[in-house]
Amino acid sequence: MPGARLSAADKRVWLIIAGIVLLGALFIPLSLVLFDLRFTYTVRVVALGGAILGLLSGVLGSFAVLRQESLLGDALSHAALPGVAVAFLLAGRELSSLLVGAGIASWLGLRFLSALLHTTRIKQDTAMGIVLAAWFAAGIALLAYIQSIPDASQAGLDHFIFGQAAAIIERDVTLVSAVGLLVLLLVALFWKEFKLVTFDSEFAGANGFRIGFINAVLSTLIVVTIVLGLQLAGVILMVGMLIAPGIAARQWTHKLDQMVILAAVFGAFAGGVGAVISALDSDIPTGPMIIVVSFVLVLLSITLAPGRGLVWSRLRQRANRRRFAAINTLRDLYRYALAHGAEDYPVPDDFIRGVRARSVESGLRQLRGAGQVMALGEGWRLTEEGIAWAREDRRNQRLWDLYRLYNDELGLPVIQEDRRLDIGAVLPAAAVEQLENRLEPSETA
Amino acid sequence: MMPLERWLIELLLNFVTREELNAFLRSPQNTAMLVGCLIAVSGALLGVFLLLRGMSLTSDAISHTVLLGIVVAFLLMTEVFGLHGDTSSPWLILGASLAGVGTVLLTEMLYRSGLVKQDAALGLAFPLLFAIAVILVSRYVEDAHLDEDAVLVGEIGLAWANTNSHCFANCESVTVAPDHEAAKFARQCNNCRELGISPRDERAVFSETCSNCGEYNPAQAWSAGLLEREPVLVFFPKSITVMLLLTLLTLGFVLVFFKELKLSTFDTGLAQALGFRPGALHYALMILVSLVAVGAFDAVGSILVIAFFIIPPAAAYLLTDRLAMMLLLSPLIGGVGAYYGYDLARGQLFSFIAVADGIAVLNRLFGLSLPEEWDSSISASMVLMIFILFLLAWALSPRYGLASTLIRRANRRRVFENQVVLAHIHNHQHTTAHDIELNVDHLHEHFRWTERKMSRVLTGLRALGYIRIIAGSAELTDRGDRQVHAFRKTMLEAHNIPDLP
Repeated sequence: MPGARLSAADKRVWLIIAGIVLLGALFIPLSLVLFDLRFTYTVRVVALGGAILGLLSGVLGSFAVLRQESLLGDALSHAALPGVAVAFLLAGRELSSLLVGAGIASWLGLRFLSALLHTTRIKQDTAMGIVLAAWFAAGIALLAYIQSIPDASQAGLDHFIFGQAAAIIERDVTLVSAVGLLVLLLVALFWKEFKLVTFDSEFAGANGFRIGFINAVLSTLIVVTIVLGLQLAGVILMVGMLIAPGIAARQWTHKLDQMVILAAVFGAFAGGVGAVISALDSDIPTGPMIIVVSFVLVLLSITLAPGRGLVWSRLRQRANRRRFAAINTLRDLYRYALAHGAEDYPVPDDFIRGVRARSVESGLRQLRGAGQVMALGEGWRLTEEGIAWAREDRRNQRLWDLYRLYNDELGLPVIQEDRRLDIGAVLPAAAVEQLENRLEPSETA
Repeated sequence: MMPLERWLIELLLNFVTREELNAFLRSPQNTAMLVGCLIAVSGALLGVFLLLRGMSLTSDAISHTVLLGIVVAFLLMTEVFGLHGDTSSPWLILGASLAGVGTVLLTEMLYRSGLVKQDAALGLAFPLLFAIAVILVSRYVEDAHLDEDAVLVGEIGLAWANTNSHCFANCESVTVAPDHEAAKFARQCNNCRELGISPRDERAVFSETCSNCGEYNPAQAWSAGLLEREPVLVFFPKSITVMLLLTLLTLGFVLVFFKELKLSTFDTGLAQALGFRPGALHYALMILVSLVAVGAFDAVGSILVIAFFIIPPAAAYLLTDRLAMMLLLSPLIGGVGAYYGYDLARGQLFSFIAVADGIAVLNRLFGLSLPEEWDSSISASMVLMIFILFLLAWALSPRYGLASTLIRRANRRRVFENQVVLAHIHNHQHTTAHDIELNVDHLHEHFRWTERKMSRVLTGLRALGYIRIIAGSAELTDRGDRQVHAFRKTMLEAHNIPDLP
C-alpha cells in the first residue's frame, strides 16, 4: 500500500510473512549447512510440489474456515476416493484422469449433500457424515475390487488414502502448478465477490450479486484444491492441510487479504517441510506429517499471536487481576476509615483480610510499594497519597453514577460507560460541571 | 469375559449341539454377519441421540481419535508390559475409549477458548490425533492385526479366527516342564552373537533350552498332540463377545435412561431445571460411543464405523417422528444393512441381483474388460448396503420421502391453481366485465399462464363439476359456488380474520 501508513499490527503481519518466506526459501540451503543434509533431485521436486499444494490449500482453506465449512472439506475429500478408483478402472493410471475422477466424485458428493439438505429435514452435519461415510465406503469397496484384479498395476492407488510425497514426479508438479495458477487467478478475479459472500451473504444478495453462482464457484475451487492435494495428504487428512493454515493465520490478523496471504505462506511451509520429512523416511506417510507440521503452526499461533493468543490474554488477565486487587483493597480501606469518621483512621488487619480473602495480599503489597498505605502494627493506614487517590477515585465513581442517572435529563453526550477511565477525559468539561452540581454537599468537600 | 462367554455357551448348548455351534461359529460368513449386525445395532441406537442432538460428526471425531488410543495402548501392551497385543482385550478397549472422551473434552476446550470455531476445532483436533496414530502405526507397529489396512477397513472377514476356547469335558491342562516326556530341546549358542563367532568356533558356549515348555490349555494341548482323549471344545470368536457386551450395555443404557435421554435431548434447559443431569448424560453417551467405536475397530476399522452411527438413524429420521419408533427402526435398518452387506461383498445385491451381471452390462455398453468376479471389502459393503437402505427410505418414505414430497407439492400446486381460477370466476361473473374477464380463450392471459396450463386447469375443474362453459365464458356451477365459499370461510378462520358483513 504505497502512500498509506501501516499500523503496527499490519507491519507485524507482513514481517511474519516475510520471515516465513525467507525461512522457506532458505530451507534447503540451511539444512545443508546445519544438518549436512544433501537433498536429491527427487526430494527437491517433492518439496516444491508440497509447497505449491500447501499454498493453494492455505488460500482456499481460509475461505472454508471463515465460512465455517471446515468439515465440508473433510466430507469432500473423503468423497473423492471412489472417483479415483473408477477413473483407474476406466482410464488407467494417469494422474490427470485420476484427479478428474476424484473431482467428479467429490462434486457429486456436494450435489448429493445439497439435494439432501433441500428435500429433507436432515441437518448439515448429519448429511456430511452420510456423504463422507457412503462415498468413502464405495471407494474402499472399489479399491478392494481393483486389488482382486490379477496383474492390474494398481500399486500406488492406496497412496491416495494416506498420501505419498515420494510418488510425486516433475510432471505432476507442472500439472499442479498450472491448475493452481488458474485457481489463484480465479480467486483474484472473484476476490470482492468471495469476500462479500463469506462475510455477509445476505447483503451480497441484496446488492444483486448472484450468491448461488459465486458459492458454486467457490466450492468448485475448494473441490479442485482438495483433489490436487490428495496425492500429498491423502483423502483422510486432507481437511487438516486445508484448514490448519487458515486457522493459524486467523489468529494474527483481522484482515482478509493478510489472512489469505499468511495462510498461503503457512500452508506452503507446512506442505514443503512435511513432504521433505516424509520423503526422507519412507516409513512416514506424507499426509500425517504435513498435518503435524501445520498443527505446530496452529499451536504457535494460538498461544503466541499478539492480542488474541492464549499467552497474551493470560498475561492481560493477570495484569488486570493485579490492578483490581490494589484498587479494591484501597477502596475498602478508605470506606472503612470514612465509616469511622476520619480518612486516616487505622484499619485492623483482620477486617481487610476478612473482606478480600485472596487478593488482599497482592493488593496490600502493591499499595505499600506505591506508598499509598503504611503498616501500623496490627493494622493499616492510608498515607496522604493514598487518601488523595481514594478521594479522587470516589468522586470519579460518583460522577459516573450520576452520569448514568441523569444523562438523559441533562442531555449529556452519549458515551460508552467505562468506569476505569477518568470521566473528565471522556466528557466535555461543561458536562462534567453539570454533573458536579448534582453532588451532595458532603461529597464536594 | 471368559466366565461370561462360558455362561453364554452353556445357554446356547441347551438349544443346539456342540458340533452345530462350532460349525456355525467357524463359518466366516456367520461370524461376520453377527458381528456386523451387533455393531450396526449398538451404533444405530447411540446414533439416534447423536443425530437428534446435532452431534453426528462427534462420532466422526471420536472414531478417528480412538485409533490413537488403540495404538498407544497397543504399544504399551506389547512394548512396555510385554503382553501379547490383542485389540479385543478389555484393557485396551477401556484405555482407547478414554482417548475418545479425551478428544471430546479437547475440542470443547478448544472452542471454548473462543479462538477457534466449533467446526474448525473438530476439523483440527481429529486429523491431528489421527495423523499421529498413523505415523505411529506405520513407524513402530509391526503386527498383522494393526496395519494401515486394518485401520481403514478392519478385518471382519477374519473375526471367526480370533477365538477363545472353552472346554466342557475331558479337560486337561498340561504343563510341559523340562522333565516332561514331550519336552523338546534345542541347543542354542549363548555367546555367538556377542563375540561374533560361528557356532562351530571352539569358544562357543551352548545351553539346552526347552522349546515347547509352558502352560497348555486343553485346546492348545490337544492341537499339540499332548492329550489322548479329545477334549470337548467350543471355540468362541472374541469379537462376538465384545460386541454382544457392548450392544447389551447400549441397550440397557437406552432402556434405563430413556426418559432422561429424551428430556435432555429435546429440552436441555428443562432437564437441567428439573434436576436431571444433562451434562453427566452427555458424557455417558460419549463414553458409550467411544466404547462401541473401539469395540468395532477390529471388525470395521476406524473410519467406516461412523457410517453405523450416522446413516441408520438418518434413515429412521426420514421415516418417523416418534423417538421410540426411531429407536426401533434405526437398529433394524443398520442390522438388515449389515446382514445383506455381507452378500454384497460376495457379489449379491439383496440376494436376487448379481453384481457380476451389472459389471457384464457395463463391459458390453462401454467396451470395457473388467473382471466380472466381484469380491470386495465386507465392512465397506455393509456400509454401502446401509446407504442403499437410506436411499430407499429417502425415496419412498411416506412422509418425508422424495416421492411423497413431490406428490404433495404437485397436489398443493393443483389445489392452488384451482382455487385461484375459481376465485377469479367468482369475482367477475355477473359483472359487466364478464365477457372480457371470463372468455375461455383469453383466460390464460389474465394469469400470465401458458394456454396449455390454463386448459389443463379448466379441464380439471370441469371434471370436478365446479365450472361449466357457456358461450365461450366460464361460469361457476352451484357446486363450484359452494366450494368457493367453503374455501373462503376456512381460510378466514385459519387466519382469524372476521368475515365481511
